[in-house]
Amino acid sequence: MANAYLQIPELRGFERFSQGRRAEDMPQITSRICGVCPVAHHFAATKALDAAFNVEPTSAAKKLRELMYCGYIIYDHILHFYYLGGPDFVVGPDAPPAKRNILGVIEKAGLEIGKEVIKHRAYGQKITGILGGKATHPVCGLPGGVSKGLNKDEVKDIEKMGKSCVEFAKFSLKLFDDIVLKNKDYLDLILSDPYTLKTYNMGLVDKNNKVNFYDGKIRVTDQKGKEHVKFDGNDYYKIVGEHVEEWSYIKFTYLKDIGWKGFKDGKDSGIYRVGPLGRLNAAEGMATPLADKEYKRFYETLGGKAVNSTLAFHWARLIELLYATEKTMELIKDPEITSTKIRNPVGEPGEGIGVVEAARGTLIHHYKLDKNGLIDKANLIVATTNNAGAINMSVRDAAKGIIKKGKVNDGLLNMVEMAFRAYDPCFACATHTLPGGMPLEVNVYDNNRKLYKTIRRNI
Amino acid sequence: MKTIILGVGNPILSDDGVGIHVANQLKQHIHDPDVVIDEALTGGMNLLDLLLGYDKAIIIDAVKIDNGKDGEVKRIPLNSFSTMHSCNPHDVSLIEAIQMAEKLGETKIPKEIIVIGIMMKKLPCEFGENLSEKIAKAVPNAVEMTLNEIRKDN
Repeated sequence: MANAYLQIPELRGFERFSQGRRAEDMPQITSRICGVCPVAHHFAATKALDAAFNVEPTSAAKKLRELMYCGYIIYDHILHFYYLGGPDFVVGPDAPPAKRNILGVIEKAGLEIGKEVIKHRAYGQKITGILGGKATHPVCGLPGGVSKGLNKDEVKDIEKMGKSCVEFAKFSLKLFDDIVLKNKDYLDLILSDPYTLKTYNMGLVDKNNKVNFYDGKIRVTDQKGKEHVKFDGNDYYKIVGEHVEEWSYIKFTYLKDIGWKGFKDGKDSGIYRVGPLGRLNAAEGMATPLADKEYKRFYETLGGKAVNSTLAFHWARLIELLYATEKTMELIKDPEITSTKIRNPVGEPGEGIGVVEAARGTLIHHYKLDKNGLIDKANLIVATTNNAGAINMSVRDAAKGIIKKGKVNDGLLNMVEMAFRAYDPCFACATHTLPGGMPLEVNVYDNNRKLYKTIRRNI
Repeated sequence: MKTIILGVGNPILSDDGVGIHVANQLKQHIHDPDVVIDEALTGGMNLLDLLLGYDKAIIIDAVKIDNGKDGEVKRIPLNSFSTMHSCNPHDVSLIEAIQMAEKLGETKIPKEIIVIGIMMKKLPCEFGENLSEKIAKAVPNAVEMTLNEIRKDN
């Protein structure tokens, strides 16, 4: 097998769509771009507006935003591990698709665990909902702060849920340990060649170089975990370039100083990864004690920095889940969280860039406003674009691993799906449209570029 | 009997948001306190959360088809959709979410879930708030079909 390409639909026309709209509407509009990460878009937009209106949010507002963000990470990461990525491991990569789902997980792990999963995913959503107005479409972010604070009853509620979430995150890591890490076959699969990619890694870090979802500088590390560059979100366009391929609408991002060298990994190729594994590799630890302990164990178990195994995304995701729950507790116990100083007055409209870590990776919003505060230009770089080069290579390698001597079977769909599912990509498709099966089509061509076989599902 | 009518779709992705256009029009026709009309840009688990506690749910959504006519409106019971893994890379399908909830003993799932589907061969990939001509013409039909569904129960 020579090569494989992943083609995905890409939404177009956002710049034209936003032109002339009121800048304050962007956090609401962009949260509708995608049904998967509304909270991440909401805050990338809000932070871009802070910058564009030249205003620093109050200290309490920053904490409220970060607390809400933790709620989002909690429900998003739980959903991915138990419903999407988990089935591949818990039920097994070779199990038929009809079994490789959450029902299969419950069959194996037990009904009680299923109830806990539902409960804690709902807690994450409730925390987000209390702070954001509506869990799925937050309305709280304003330039300079937030529209709503917390009262004492809400604090009590969140504290109770947060505490339970910490325990559930600990349990999830233990489950991963028992089912995956203690199984030699799975560990071998994680460390196998088709699922290894030695790219650069990128993620937001705080001033101590610890993982941060909401704020900080963007740090890039190399294949051995050494810092390559650390920069402010405003310099994004100086550091990152966009490469266009004729067969895809997606622009492939790369590090400009290294350059685009095609779909290759290694030190000489500018491709990097974002998301849970990218973030852990780009940092030097987690800012909370339990998650930091897990962080160390992660690198001890998988052979030191950087971890380049695509399937390690799943473990990294659970470590981040633990961090988000601990951070929730830290923020909710902060006396300032009930402060009523939640907004600063805005300045004159200008230009601004906002960066957050969406659950699936670095997300950037960039707006230019006219003198009336209307959008003149808008550009977004979403997490899955940052990962597009790497996802494409992972799909190719998984396909190479399984297509031997021209033999192609349905197992190919599983292995290819496992490769891109690890990244938890958010493809810009009409995410809800019925009948509700994620469409997947694999076309296999022979060496004369003639279509040899098509395997499809839900198209 | 408590009923929820849910327009599902993305309001800034042109034809994809047709369900929401239909739901908005229905608000002018329905004034029954036992019928709730809402909208959602979501699928699977989140969608199920919105349906819990009602006796009947009517979901108005775009349905992707290979063959057939753009803008045709059909009444489809939810259980005639079949699905395997997930509805998008980061969610499960509504059917899977329901099976899961049933297994865990959830008692608030609506007894009847009906989809009013607006057929389209191609899903939009470009941002916009307006419907295309063909799909806009389907809106009155979908409104009528939903109203019939409500009348039938009374």
